[in-house]
Amino acid sequence: MAEQKVSHQPTSIDFIVPAKEKRRRFRVDRRFLPVIATLLTLLIMLVVGELRYGLGAGRSSFISMKVFSNLLVDNSYLLVLAVGMTFVILTGGIDLSVGAVVALVGLVMAQMFNAGASLPMAMLVAIAIGVACGLLIGTLIQVFEIQPFIASLAVMFLARGLANVVSDQSLPINNESFAALASWSITFGEGKGSWRINASMIIAFAVLAIGFYLLHYTRFGRTVYGLGAGDNAQAVKFMGLNAGRTTILVYVISGTCAGIAGILFALYTKSGFNLTGIGMELDAIASVVIGGTLLSGGYGFVLGSAAGVLVYGLIQVIIAREGLDSWWTKVFIGIVLLAFVILQRLISVRRK
Amino acid sequence: MSDVKIKDQKKERNSSFSTILSDAAAHSSFWPAVALVILLVACGIKSPGFLSVSVMDGHLFGQLIDIARNGVTPLLLAMGMALVIATGGIDLSVGAVMAISLAVSLTYIDGAADGGSMGTVIIAVVLGLFVALIIGTFNGFLVAVLKIQPFIATMILMVAGRGIAMLLTKGQITTVTSPPFKAIGAGFLFGIPMPIIIAIVLFVIMTLLVRRTAFGMMLESIGINREASRLAGVKSVSTTWIVYAVCGLMAGIAGIVYGAPTMAADANNIGLMKEMDAIMVVVLGGTKLSGGRFSLGGTVVGALILSTLERAVIIFGFPSQTTPLFKAVVLIVVCIAASPLFRERQRIRRARRESGRVAAA
Repeated sequence: MAEQKVSHQPTSIDFIVPAKEKRRRFRVDRRFLPVIATLLTLLIMLVVGELRYGLGAGRSSFISMKVFSNLLVDNSYLLVLAVGMTFVILTGGIDLSVGAVVALVGLVMAQMFNAGASLPMAMLVAIAIGVACGLLIGTLIQVFEIQPFIASLAVMFLARGLANVVSDQSLPINNESFAALASWSITFGEGKGSWRINASMIIAFAVLAIGFYLLHYTRFGRTVYGLGAGDNAQAVKFMGLNAGRTTILVYVISGTCAGIAGILFALYTKSGFNLTGIGMELDAIASVVIGGTLLSGGYGFVLGSAAGVLVYGLIQVIIAREGLDSWWTKVFIGIVLLAFVILQRLISVRRK
Repeated sequence: MSDVKIKDQKKERNSSFSTILSDAAAHSSFWPAVALVILLVACGIKSPGFLSVSVMDGHLFGQLIDIARNGVTPLLLAMGMALVIATGGIDLSVGAVMAISLAVSLTYIDGAADGGSMGTVIIAVVLGLFVALIIGTFNGFLVAVLKIQPFIATMILMVAGRGIAMLLTKGQITTVTSPPFKAIGAGFLFGIPMPIIIAIVLFVIMTLLVRRTAFGMMLESIGINREASRLAGVKSVSTTWIVYAVCGLMAGIAGIVYGAPTMAADANNIGLMKEMDAIMVVVLGGTKLSGGRFSLGGTVVGALILSTLERAVIIFGFPSQTTPLFKAVVLIVVCIAASPLFRERQRIRRARRESGRVAAA
């Protein structure tokens, strides 16, 4: 009942007197401006790509299912991380542990396969590791009132240390059903323009869909947005929503996503390595911010984060196509971040 | 009024050892100091020669000196970070700034005609620190003037900074041979390793700056309530701006001190994840990440905990790559000990014990 009603997010515009509302109705809701900017950036990048490497350069079209399919194959783990991170950031928190969890999960899976474990077993353990890490962060934050940054930093060290204990070398994954899952794909089209859907993409899209549903169609999702209001969850508590449980749950969700991302990353690299995922949490946070979510919480969309991941991936594609050295990627990501952060700032200033 | 005071004094005089202990326990640096002492004693028991310091060739030698020297880099970063955190901010770019300032200095020495001369080294260091100061000023501009969240504002350079350092070194690991430059990180003055001297001098300067002037109090007031401090006349914009510039400068110094012994600017790896260590050191030192009260003395303790921990892992025969595990344990234990829930429990237990004592009497 209440869950149906809350699916429409009340905005400041709803409370403005009707006369003004009439005039404003034709304008775009400001909540969507950052996401629109993200989509616009995506579009500009695609057009630039088209002009430089596609039809503009006399070759086959750059904007194709193939580009998107490759982007998603390469970044499915990042998409899953970004979905989890969106929940955390919407509450005004942060989760720095996800990169280390990805490394830990990859190594544990590799060790389990070496010990003869089955695929479902290894996957279950992988997700359980993620859940446990998330639960630990959530508990430290909620029960011991430790800042999210420090709590997740501690768990980052913990997961990284455990990963180093499991193995300090790259472990190849030798498991038939795992290899089958990694190479499974449906191919569409033929020749150069063919594109494919693989298991990672399907899993990533499933996570995205679940994230979207949770955030926009459930009481839990409303509470997540409410926690980001920056009033120490006062409003959420007055409304009778369970702030404490939700705080812990968002970190569990982020941890679970990190576990799933660990599986996807293992599928992608077919190995586990203790030095993977250093700075991966920053990639996830940057994607979320580029996707239009405010780091202070309360504003943002999980689909925006997905667009942010695409922008992120496309930067890498363009840098590679330009033949520039890989460190330019970081510089460009920094520039895009700067532009988006300033844009968000301008929007929030105008909102006031 | 005076009666009360006298009573209080009497009370203090009568106070038993346990109440002195509980008063000390309430101090923000108490648990960190206990952690440090436990670590040192544990190492001393495990390795008998651990606590001895000897003089060799007129230089101080020993495990403790090594620990102090290894603690210098995190300490330099953490002192700047402590000021930033006091204003309620955070600076994630310090690791990248380390890489950039070292890259600038070494690239200059590499290109100079006489890399070994004192003049070249001084110019190189000044250039490196100047760039670090500029970066800090840029961060400060984003945070103080544009009012962008510190986390994301400094994350921009955390991501891009390493790329910029790579551009400076053209993707190579720039190595030079310059004895005066090496001396910054590996030399000795009065028998004491140079980095320790640098750290002590900077610590004294910083302490004078924040405690002998109103600057420290202004920082804390901004961190506690920015609006209230503005109404009280604290220039919050310029103060915040200065703090980020100082933090950048300290990171630049840390980069040069850290990279000087090897004289190699490895832009990909120098200072990697050092920002996390610095933040951890500040928190271990009893400063709250939410801003407000900060402690430079506590930060020194935090830096020593970190470097002692790294050494302890080796002394106890664990592989050095397990260090993060122990960092996590120490961080969680110290944070939980300082958490409101734990303190409340302690207070209740103490009150119950006291009331029990009264009942017995």
